[in-house]
Amino acid sequence: MNLKESASSLVKDLLGVALLLVFLLLFFNYDRITTSSFIDIPTSIVNVNTIFISIIIEAFPFILLGVFVSALIQIYVSEDTIQKYLPKSALGALFPAAVLGAIFPICECAIVPVVRRLIKKGMPLHVGVVFLVGAPILNPVVFASTFYAFRNNPTVLYSRMGLAFILAILIGAIIYFIFRKNTDQLKWSRDELVGKQVTQVITPQKKRNRVKQTMYHAADEFFMMGKYLIAGAFIAALFQTYLDRSILQALGTNEYSATFVMMVFAYVLSLCSEADAFVAASFANNFTTSSIIAFLVYGPMVDLKNTVMMLALFKTKFVLVFITTVTVVVFSSVLLLEFFIL
Amino acid sequence: MNGRGDLSFHAYIRGIILFGFALLILGLIITDNIKYYIAPKMMPFIYFSIAVFFLLGIIQIFRSTKKGELDEEDDCDCGLDHQVSGPTWIKVVVYSIFILPLLMGFITPDQALNSQIAANRGIIFGSGNAQPVATIDDELSSTPRTDQFLNDPEGYLASLTEDEFDDDIEHFQIEDFYDEDWFNEYYDELLIELLEEPVIEVTDENYLDVMTLLDLHLEKFVGKELEITGFVFREPDFEDNRLVVARFSMTCCTADAGVYGTLVETEEASLFDNDMWIRVRGTIHETEYHGYKLPVVQLREVTVVSEPDSPYVYPSFR
Repeated sequence: MNLKESASSLVKDLLGVALLLVFLLLFFNYDRITTSSFIDIPTSIVNVNTIFISIIIEAFPFILLGVFVSALIQIYVSEDTIQKYLPKSALGALFPAAVLGAIFPICECAIVPVVRRLIKKGMPLHVGVVFLVGAPILNPVVFASTFYAFRNNPTVLYSRMGLAFILAILIGAIIYFIFRKNTDQLKWSRDELVGKQVTQVITPQKKRNRVKQTMYHAADEFFMMGKYLIAGAFIAALFQTYLDRSILQALGTNEYSATFVMMVFAYVLSLCSEADAFVAASFANNFTTSSIIAFLVYGPMVDLKNTVMMLALFKTKFVLVFITTVTVVVFSSVLLLEFFIL
Repeated sequence: MNGRGDLSFHAYIRGIILFGFALLILGLIITDNIKYYIAPKMMPFIYFSIAVFFLLGIIQIFRSTKKGELDEEDDCDCGLDHQVSGPTWIKVVVYSIFILPLLMGFITPDQALNSQIAANRGIIFGSGNAQPVATIDDELSSTPRTDQFLNDPEGYLASLTEDEFDDDIEHFQIEDFYDEDWFNEYYDELLIELLEEPVIEVTDENYLDVMTLLDLHLEKFVGKELEITGFVFREPDFEDNRLVVARFSMTCCTADAGVYGTLVETEEASLFDNDMWIRVRGTIHETEYHGYKLPVVQLREVTVVSEPDSPYVYPSFR
């Protein structure tokens, strides 16, 4: 180890220790700092902070549940196993894929890399898309949080789950017909093309460390997803503090525009599917039930932070076609629901 | 690039950030300031996340040590997902995204949502079920109802059930939400209970229920005395003698909080600034605001109070 390297590692160690000290110092002086008025922060900034911290603290337990379950699947269920049980017929695979998506308790942030990995291992593109749009909504944690948030209006829960299931299959079929001839829509890194990744072999003695590996995966996935969550929560907090909702209400007076406004809102807020029901509940007074359902179905399928992630992993044209398809399908199906069922 | 050392540095710094989150939430709980952020019924989830943050933090610190490195899953089948790729500045930005909310959480004062948020969210008068003025045709019969109740309580109560059918047409929204029998039963019982009280005292517990009843059966409450606590808030178009006594109702976190308020009329309204906490007592009258029939409290007594222990109210989901 040369001098430069050890110096750099010393700096890194000190950086970490300093950070820990700062956190501890702030923790033990918590009462003094937050109750004193020596820092004069404008009210509106305090409000942004209140909502921001509130959203992330609220979302953390659900995110942690998500990353743990996802890490368990990562370690204990191989993609080969999943693939083995998928039917060979292209369209016949859609329904089982949606069912499998319901069993996968993965939220929208975690599903993007999982789907990418599945596609890399040879899963058909359109089946991956079914997972991508279905799994974030069709999972037990989202079911539970939607149930809690809309305890007094179960229509929302059942419509959300039902629509997600049907639309996942429909969107998968549409993607199948559009990209039938050109299924390779992933961006491949140079390393992967050279074949660096393919050489990996799981050796049997590694199995002893599975618990530890699950923990590692959970932590890594928390950090991978956490940054999108925190950034999304911050943008959401800004909207929550500064956006005058009477403007929204003025736009949301009829079924078409209300549904559209709520879909735009779902896209911009980029909430995690595990916590978005609580936000939707705050609109329940001002918006029609069907536009709330549009919010709850569209948001987990496509949103701002998800688009950022997808553009990093998929070809741009595919991402654009995908978003357009999801938007048109969700919008028209919610209107159908509004006119024929609700 | 010293890839190995890099990986262990990431594990190390991440472990510390995880500790930071655990400490922040623990600090909020110890000082009881968590009440400004999270509804009590979500607390089990919050305890869960503290435990997991500490656990993962410890594991990450061990992972960053020499011994941990040996166990590192070099050939884990997840490819390159777990590394932070890109130049140094991207890594700095990524970790800042985690560290900034921690610092913000520790440093910024904890306080309840206030009238500024109320203004943007739009206040919900009563429970949001106020009746449009034009569609109410039994207004004439509304005033003598209290007398009717006093003269013949049993006969009057029997007639309440009939009234429910009339109301259903106006309140299809809330009836949709609670189309179970228990909803009507519970509210009918509470209504009778409240009408028997000399003074209707609105507490943290019954706040939303009383608001709902005031909207659904306003005419029955006219002339009764009401005592209610909340923070002062005004809509821009209010006359000088009006203000709203309001509370935030939080289901899970502040993102879903809504503002519920009652109109108060007093000549002294200008003495009370927005966000002041007051307890008011007065008689319920009926008024019209933006085409809706709303209760208004004609002020008798007012006390400036300190912010209650629980500034928000919570839906009870009976």
